[in-house]
Amino acid sequence: MKLKLNRPCHCLPLLGLLAVLCGSRIEAFDLKFFGTNGPPMEFHGFASQGFLYSSRYNYLGDSSSGSFKFTEAGLSASLNPFPRTRIAAQAFTYDVGPAGDYDVVLDYALLEYKVADYLGFRGGRIRRPEGIYNDIQDVDLARTSILLPQGMYDARWRDFYVSIDGGELFGTFSLDRAGSLSYELYYGLQRPQLDGGLALQKANLPPFVPLTSFNSPQMGGGQLWWNTPLNGLRAGVALNYDQDLTFVNDQGRQSVGSPLTQHYSLEYLWHGWTLQAEYLRFRINYENTGGGKPLSQKLIDPDTWYAGAAYRFNKWIEMGGYYSEYYADASNRGGAGLAFPSDASQKDAAISLRFDATRWWLFKVEAHYIRGTAQLFNNVANPARDGEGWWLFGVKSTISF
Amino acid sequence: MKCPLFKMALAGAICLSGSLLAAPGGGVAIIANNSVPLDTISAAALKDIYIGKTTYWPDGQSVVIAVLADPTRETDLELRNVSGMDASHFETFWERMVFSGRGKLPKSASDISALVALVSTTKGAIAFVPADTRLKDVKQLGNF
Repeated sequence: MKLKLNRPCHCLPLLGLLAVLCGSRIEAFDLKFFGTNGPPMEFHGFASQGFLYSSRYNYLGDSSSGSFKFTEAGLSASLNPFPRTRIAAQAFTYDVGPAGDYDVVLDYALLEYKVADYLGFRGGRIRRPEGIYNDIQDVDLARTSILLPQGMYDARWRDFYVSIDGGELFGTFSLDRAGSLSYELYYGLQRPQLDGGLALQKANLPPFVPLTSFNSPQMGGGQLWWNTPLNGLRAGVALNYDQDLTFVNDQGRQSVGSPLTQHYSLEYLWHGWTLQAEYLRFRINYENTGGGKPLSQKLIDPDTWYAGAAYRFNKWIEMGGYYSEYYADASNRGGAGLAFPSDASQKDAAISLRFDATRWWLFKVEAHYIRGTAQLFNNVANPARDGEGWWLFGVKSTISF
Repeated sequence: MKCPLFKMALAGAICLSGSLLAAPGGGVAIIANNSVPLDTISAAALKDIYIGKTTYWPDGQSVVIAVLADPTRETDLELRNVSGMDASHFETFWERMVFSGRGKLPKSASDISALVALVSTTKGAIAFVPADTRLKDVKQLGNF
C-alpha cells in the first residue's frame, strides 16, 4: 500500500508528529486501546535528516551542489493480542535523491505466530532478511555509518529490495556446543515502483529511456545464520531468486529476467568492537523483446564486497569505517569496451563518527573517498566520468523513541 | 588425562569461566513479574531471552525484558555475562528487531528501584538486579 503524494510538504505531518513525540517524550509509549486488562499497543518511531555533498558528480541526488534530499522517517506499532501472537505494522516515508519523494508507504504489516523457539510464522508485508543490514538498511540509529556500502545496500533500492508481500518461517535451533542456527525462509511478491531506485537504474542503461511498467515478481529465498560457540561471532548465508522480473520501457521494449542472489556475511561483536565483512553477487540474464520479437539477451553479473570496523568509546561516541568495492560486471572489472571505463566499478573508503547526545538523539558525520562511477545511475547529471577519485561528505541527525 | 599441563590449563579455564559469570560486588538476582510461569531459570535459558531467541513464556505470554535506561559499568558487565553483548550492542540488536518488525524493545527504568517497580507492574517482565537489591512484589528466579 502506498500513499502517492507528490509534494514533499505532505510528509511534514508525519515528521511533525514524530518531532513532537520525540521532543516531549524520550521513551516509547504504550496505549491501552482494549481496556486496562487488554494488551497494550507499543509505539516506536524515528526520523532522520541528512545532507550530502560531493566534490564531483551527482550521487544520490544533486550532491555536487549539496543535497538535503536525504530523509527517512518511520512510525511503528505492535501488540500481542493472544498467546504467542503478535501484530505489528510500520509506516515509512523517505526521500533519497530522485527516489522516494516522501511517499508514505506501509513498510511492514504482519501477523506473527510462534510455535516454539525453533518455529514461527509471519505473514503480510514483511521486511526481507538478507545479510546484516537489508531488513534495517534505512534505520539510521541501528548502525555507525550514514551510508551503508551502497553496492550492497543501495539506499535508492528500498522500494524493490526491502519488503515483500508474503510469508516466512523462522526460528532458532540449538546446536549444543556448536552454537545455534537461526533461519528465515520466505516467499512473496516484491513491489518495485516506477519512481523507485531500480526503475531509475534501468532508465540509465541502454537505450536510456524511462520505464512505463514494472511487474511484481515472485521472490523466494532464505537467510541462515550460524551463531558460533564463540560469543559474538556469527556467519551467514542468504540466497534468493526472483521469478520473471519484467519491465517495459516507453519504446515498448520488454525485459524479463530472473535474478539469483547469493550473499555471505561475517560479524564479530567483541567488547566495544563491531567487525563485519560481506560479499554479494547476483546474476540476471535478461531476455529483451520488442513488438513481440526477440531482440537480445543481456547478462548482468555484478558483485560487491566490503569489510568494516566500528568501536564505541563510551555511551556518547562511536567511530567506524569500511572499505567496499562494487563491480558492475564481475567478468569485466576493468571496464574494457565501455564508453566510460570508470562505470565498471566503484571503490569506497569511508570513515564515520557517531555522537549519541541523548538516548533519543544522535548525530553523525562521515567522509568517503571514492574511485569509480558505477553507481551514479544518472548519466544525464554526470555526463563526463573518469577514474579520478572524488569525495563525498555527509552529516545526518536522527531522533527516535 | 596424563598431561599435567593440560590439567592445569583446564583448571585455569574453569576458574576463568566462573569468574566471568560472577559480576563484581556479589552477583545478580534474576527477578520476574509474578505472572511469569517459572520458579527458576537457567543461565542458558536467560541468555536465550536476552538474545531474542525465546520471546514467549511457556504459557504463551509475551516476554518483556526490562533494563536500566542508563547502564553503569557494572551493569554493562552484568549484561555481557547474561547476554554475551555489551550495552551498546544489546541496544542496537533490539532496535534492529523492533524496526524490522521482528521484536519489541526492552522496557527501561531510571534506577534499580524503578526497575523493580517496572517488573512488578508489567506482565511477563524479567530483569536482573544486584543480588542485594530489596525486592517487592516480584519473584526471584535465581542468582548468578
